[in-house]
Amino acid sequence: MPLDYKRFNGPEDSVSYKRFTADYLKSYDELHSELIDETGHRKDGRAMDEARPMYVRGNFVSQAKGSSYIEMRGTKVVCSVFDPREIVHQNEFSTVGLLFCEVKFAPFACKRQRQSHVPDSEEKALSVALRKAVGPTVCCQLFANFQIDIFVYIIESDGSCLAAAITAAGLALANAAVPMFDVVTASSVAIIGDKIFIDPTEDEEHLAMISPDTNTNHGVITMARLNGLMQIADFRQIGSLDIECILKVTDILEQECQKVFPKIQKTLVGYVKNGIMEQKRLSEEGKAREAKLKDKMLEWRSSIVNNSV
Amino acid sequence: MAGILLSHTEKVYITHGVKNEYRSDGRSNIDYRPMELETDVVSHASGSARLRLANTDILVGVKTEIDVPKPDKPGLGKIEFFVDCSANATPEFEGRGGEQLANSISNIMLRAYQSAQAFNLKQLCIFEGKQCWKLYIDILILECGGNLCDAVSLAVKAALFNTRIPFVKAALMDGGNVDLQLSDDPFDSKWLDVGSAPLLVTLCRIGEKCVVDPTAEEESCSLVSLIVGVTGNPKYYNDYEDEEELPAFEAKCSVISMHGPGSVSPQNLRDAINQGIIAAVCLDEALGKTLFRERRDTEQFKRHSYGFLK
Amino acid sequence: MTEVYKHIHPSKYFNDYINQDVRPDGRDFDQQRDVIININGITSADASAIVKCGNTTVVCGIKLELARPKAEEPDIGFLISNVELLPLCSSKFRPGPPSDYAQVISNIVSDIVINSKCVDLKDLCVVTDKLAWVIYCDLVCLDYDGSIVDACIIALITSLKTLSLPTVTYDNETEEVKVDTGVKIPLQVHGLPVATSFGIYHKLPRNIILADPSAYEEEMCGGIGANLIVCWNKGLFCGIQKFGGCNLSTEDEKRTISLAKQRCKLVEQVIETCIKNGEVK
Repeated sequence: MPLDYKRFNGPEDSVSYKRFTADYLKSYDELHSELIDETGHRKDGRAMDEARPMYVRGNFVSQAKGSSYIEMRGTKVVCSVFDPREIVHQNEFSTVGLLFCEVKFAPFACKRQRQSHVPDSEEKALSVALRKAVGPTVCCQLFANFQIDIFVYIIESDGSCLAAAITAAGLALANAAVPMFDVVTASSVAIIGDKIFIDPTEDEEHLAMISPDTNTNHGVITMARLNGLMQIADFRQIGSLDIECILKVTDILEQECQKVFPKIQKTLVGYVKNGIMEQKRLSEEGKAREAKLKDKMLEWRSSIVNNSV
Repeated sequence: MAGILLSHTEKVYITHGVKNEYRSDGRSNIDYRPMELETDVVSHASGSARLRLANTDILVGVKTEIDVPKPDKPGLGKIEFFVDCSANATPEFEGRGGEQLANSISNIMLRAYQSAQAFNLKQLCIFEGKQCWKLYIDILILECGGNLCDAVSLAVKAALFNTRIPFVKAALMDGGNVDLQLSDDPFDSKWLDVGSAPLLVTLCRIGEKCVVDPTAEEESCSLVSLIVGVTGNPKYYNDYEDEEELPAFEAKCSVISMHGPGSVSPQNLRDAINQGIIAAVCLDEALGKTLFRERRDTEQFKRHSYGFLK
Repeated sequence: MTEVYKHIHPSKYFNDYINQDVRPDGRDFDQQRDVIININGITSADASAIVKCGNTTVVCGIKLELARPKAEEPDIGFLISNVELLPLCSSKFRPGPPSDYAQVISNIVSDIVINSKCVDLKDLCVVTDKLAWVIYCDLVCLDYDGSIVDACIIALITSLKTLSLPTVTYDNETEEVKVDTGVKIPLQVHGLPVATSFGIYHKLPRNIILADPSAYEEEMCGGIGANLIVCWNKGLFCGIQKFGGCNLSTEDEKRTISLAKQRCKLVEQVIETCIKNGEVK
């Protein structure tokens, strides 16, 4: 870890104690057999095509214009969006708005090792991926020469981090009332051999990135979808997959993205409803107070008139 | 890459042409422009290659070093990509302008070479757990005329084909340290096995169809492009006497990524991936035959070296 | 309508509330916000705690590592705490390396924890001069609404109290280390430092003390960083800090010290209850 002078640093040679545990170096077959049990269910009890239950919430950060929190069991992601501000380090006028995305992992987010505070290449790649996925949805021409900041923080990572980050960013942007074409949702899939794991956990993703000795399929695919327009905003694949597998998985991913969409819709509509009711209540209270003041005013006027008479 | 100003009519002309599989220079949608490739242009590097594709000029150098393998992957070597967009290529790369582009290209190359089916890192292992080879692949963009990813992946594969790894004659354990003995003869080395290394194909979506290897005018008509990385066929890169002893080859995608501010429909995506695989398979065959012919010419001292003269 | 006044004329807005003896969020001057604690929420960390003081949210995650102790201090381990003020918690913080304010907060929290000696660093040594534990405590602020030091200290102490170290066997001849995560020994935490922040609002004739200021009140009282921080550790007064801001009279100082002492008792109770409930599960 390079020395960071603005923070307290530990000793340079510190290593995670997990390296010395008995089960650190497992063979590929051992890891594979751990993932699926005899009944065809995964380690956490799900079926192969079952996604984790998702908890979605907006208005999570009181200081941000719009924010969201998404939790899928082990993966916890916070996103906040701020008001448009001027583009830094730019001299010429830009006819479209810019999006500035930053994805960061908490130092304690990954169970394998501690992340450093300095952004590494993986975090930078995720930031670029997030911007590419969210870019098509935002009406950039409506805030020319401004930039909107989207910050995503991954508190705990247990697989499907990019998918959760994209969905959280979409919800936070809508919560912040940024003009958008559509709501973006994302999901990801891990493929090991002929088995397709929907919404993979970190162990499943880790194994899917390693190739077995034979030439079988393995890989992870993440897809972001614009649900109203039915278009694919971002598609990324890593690993080694043949064409039929990819085409089959594209269909599965579209359905998964479609399944997430109603939850986001419900959350947003709920907040709008609450906002309208709150406004109604405040305006009624305001009117009641005004009516009381008016009565007092009339009383005072009439008392003056009486006194002067 | 400098701003091309096209009128609306010209854009419509290009879009309609693409719909009917006609492009303004007479190519079909999956044809590449002619390329020039030469390997072994940099004498200090373990392997090098230079590729010219229309206006794009890429130089790749490969250096090998001995390093300690990662603790959770003791039997594998390491590979690292570094892309340098110099200001020579286009005035937009002045200062730190080219940094974002460089990062995205090196990132996509790393993902393409990540799978063992694309590039097997086991061939870089010397002593399991203690020593391995590390390949530093440096990519220099000398001139940028669009279609960078394709050119970079072709040049990298050619440079890796040209790379020699010194032969380790003996590796002895000397009380915790490893003592290596390399042979003194610089030609006593082995070639890397790069037959299955992936080639990237960029497909630009214009209207409803996708084109491969777009010119600058065609690129300005398109909002979104798809990059597909397809593994190569080892048949063209090795001297196999008996064709039947090879397992049946199937082209596999090792990386897919999207670029640009637009989005695609699912049908577009499917067609584009299919097209990309067809284009990549043809490209791979052509590259393999060229590289093999060049190596044979070098062995028989028949090769005429051009270097940077052309 | 009132939101507009808050931005156009912030001092008048604030003064109007203070003159009626109430704060903009409805609290009295001495009233502090509720504390909500959640432990062991993050399974990837070796111990974790999430604390909410009103809107201010701080997550503490602890990661354990092994390292060689320093040559000049061969029998003590390491306890390193860092506070991260994310750009997402407030528009005042920008992405990039920690700002001056973040470094100051990090230093304050680190000083309080190390000087209170709540963890004996000798407990962290496994084999003298060869192997010692390194406890990395990373405090992350998810929502910045004032009183950040209070929330950080509570989160840090709670997660230290729930931390247990796995057993380590060290073979002297082969220098081989084996860690057994099945058998864990809880870490001994002595003492329980609790910090309380106060904002001092400049008003003639007398300055007003606001306990547990929110972000808006902190700004009004002289900007972030001008708070008064009082620290108690189980009935022992352990620290008081004030960087700039308005003047503080001696009676006010005594009052803040006694308010902080009462809060210390309350926070102790909350932490003990939370940990006990966690263990029952």
